[in-house]
Amino acid sequence: MRIVACTEGSFGKLEPFSLEMITAARMAGAAGDEVVAFFAGQELEPAVANLGAADRLVAASAGGSQLIAAESYARLLADTVAAEEPGLVLVPYSANGLDVAGDLAARTGWPLVSYVNEIRRDGDRLTVVAQVYGGKILAECSVPLPAVLMVNPGAFAEVERRAVDVSKVQHCDATAIVAEGKVRLVGVDVPNYDSVDLTTADRIVCVGRGIGDEASIDIARGLADILGAEIAGSRPVVDSGWLPKVRQVGKSGQKVKPKLYLALGVSGAPEHLEGMSKSDLIIAVNTDPKAPIFNVAHFGATCDLFDLVANLSERLQAASGR
Amino acid sequence: MKILVVLRMIPDSAGELELTSDGRGIDREWLDFQLNDFDDHGLEEAILLKEATGATVIAVAIGEGSNRVLQMAVARGADEAVMLEAEEDGMIDSRAIAGSIVALARSKAPDLILCGVQSTEDLFGQLVPYAGTLLGWPHVSGSSRVGIEASALRVTQERGGGIAATYEIALPAVIGVQTASKAPRYVSGSKLREASKTVIGKAPSEPAGFEKSAEIVALRLPGQRGTGENLGDNPEDVADRLASILAAKGFAGV
Repeated sequence: MRIVACTEGSFGKLEPFSLEMITAARMAGAAGDEVVAFFAGQELEPAVANLGAADRLVAASAGGSQLIAAESYARLLADTVAAEEPGLVLVPYSANGLDVAGDLAARTGWPLVSYVNEIRRDGDRLTVVAQVYGGKILAECSVPLPAVLMVNPGAFAEVERRAVDVSKVQHCDATAIVAEGKVRLVGVDVPNYDSVDLTTADRIVCVGRGIGDEASIDIARGLADILGAEIAGSRPVVDSGWLPKVRQVGKSGQKVKPKLYLALGVSGAPEHLEGMSKSDLIIAVNTDPKAPIFNVAHFGATCDLFDLVANLSERLQAASGR
Repeated sequence: MKILVVLRMIPDSAGELELTSDGRGIDREWLDFQLNDFDDHGLEEAILLKEATGATVIAVAIGEGSNRVLQMAVARGADEAVMLEAEEDGMIDSRAIAGSIVALARSKAPDLILCGVQSTEDLFGQLVPYAGTLLGWPHVSGSSRVGIEASALRVTQERGGGIAATYEIALPAVIGVQTASKAPRYVSGSKLREASKTVIGKAPSEPAGFEKSAEIVALRLPGQRGTGENLGDNPEDVADRLASILAAKGFAGV
């Protein structure tokens, strides 16, 4: 069976989950199954330099556009799938993947399972474990082949990075396809990291919905100042306008790996955990003992976060003699 | 311009979920159902577009509590309300309902379909790409802004890592809303009362023509993945413990 592993990259960098898709493909395949990496983006370089662990690379580039819209990616992928006739296509759960996976399943009529964490080969079918209800329930599914799976970032280890042998690269110029598209890129906004870059912060205090309102964030800021930490927010906090986008942690915000991550009133949806679960020391406070954040926290507490902040600030200030 | 908005009623995300005795479904008998949060943002974006352009908005709802949510949609400004028959006691599977949404779109001829980018039940794929691809319309998932500028549809998509891409998209199109341009508005009790007289149309369910996606063999609750320590619920005790943990690990000084 041939397996197509979809990869992504922009601004000269490969998305790390691309390397995870290749690991997932090896796990789904039997010995001897070919793993073909598929890439579509502005430049080829990030793919060619890193995806050597795949057996082959099919890559489309469209120089001149900063990133490729999902519409073009999906169309290029469909052409590749038609040519390669794989038994399985792996698409990462990303902003792009949300459009691409369903698009391919709709075109081919193949089964699609989303939010996949585990894949096992079972003869001519796959058994997969996927998250549903925001990760509160796991669904074990039996999937006939050929199929499409949308795979969670972080569920599989990254395969090692190495360059692709030039003889194993099939390149196509996607410029015409991008130009014909009905989705035309007119601008890209990259947040201004001059003021704050959470990815380089050693310590982060993150507030979630549990903080209640914008004014209450000041209470968390007080503790953050004592700890010398940056203040951050989960998606609902930023969507409500209480903190700027540059301070968002999670799938559509920043992926951080600080030495200390203190989560106050954060429930821990999978998309948030994706952004911080690799932090060295995770402390979580949430009055819901079932909050998924506790699955990744090294220390957890279910007391009221405001009481905790008040008490902890007092003790830290006393200890440092302030 | 005509906008079709899809509203899905799903189990309350904050509630406890229990499995049925055969382990293949969740027990729905005592569940509270609520409007999928992302669909709520889709509705808000539709109403904002109506206010900006004079568009008409057709709301289609599916699942338990649809009547109530359609009345709320009309109270917010939707012009027409339609209920889509749903399979009793089952997940609202976007792959399964795509055919019905597409049939409704073919009959109502909207220029734009807005729905939430995801739902917690879209295990077998998301509505936006299914509907878009079946209709042959462009589709973009994860919008933070949808607007009409110089008669063209402009959509800002959150790409991850804080990066946002803005596109111009040829209509008709399907957009998966992540966040509306403004937070969903509050509806007054009096507007809700007025809307209670709304006539709700019915749309029949149509098969999408896909084969079943996969067999759910079993559902399970995730085991405790973490090996973390529970410090309890007393804020003074927790603060004492944390202060010493932080000091021991060198965090107490700045």
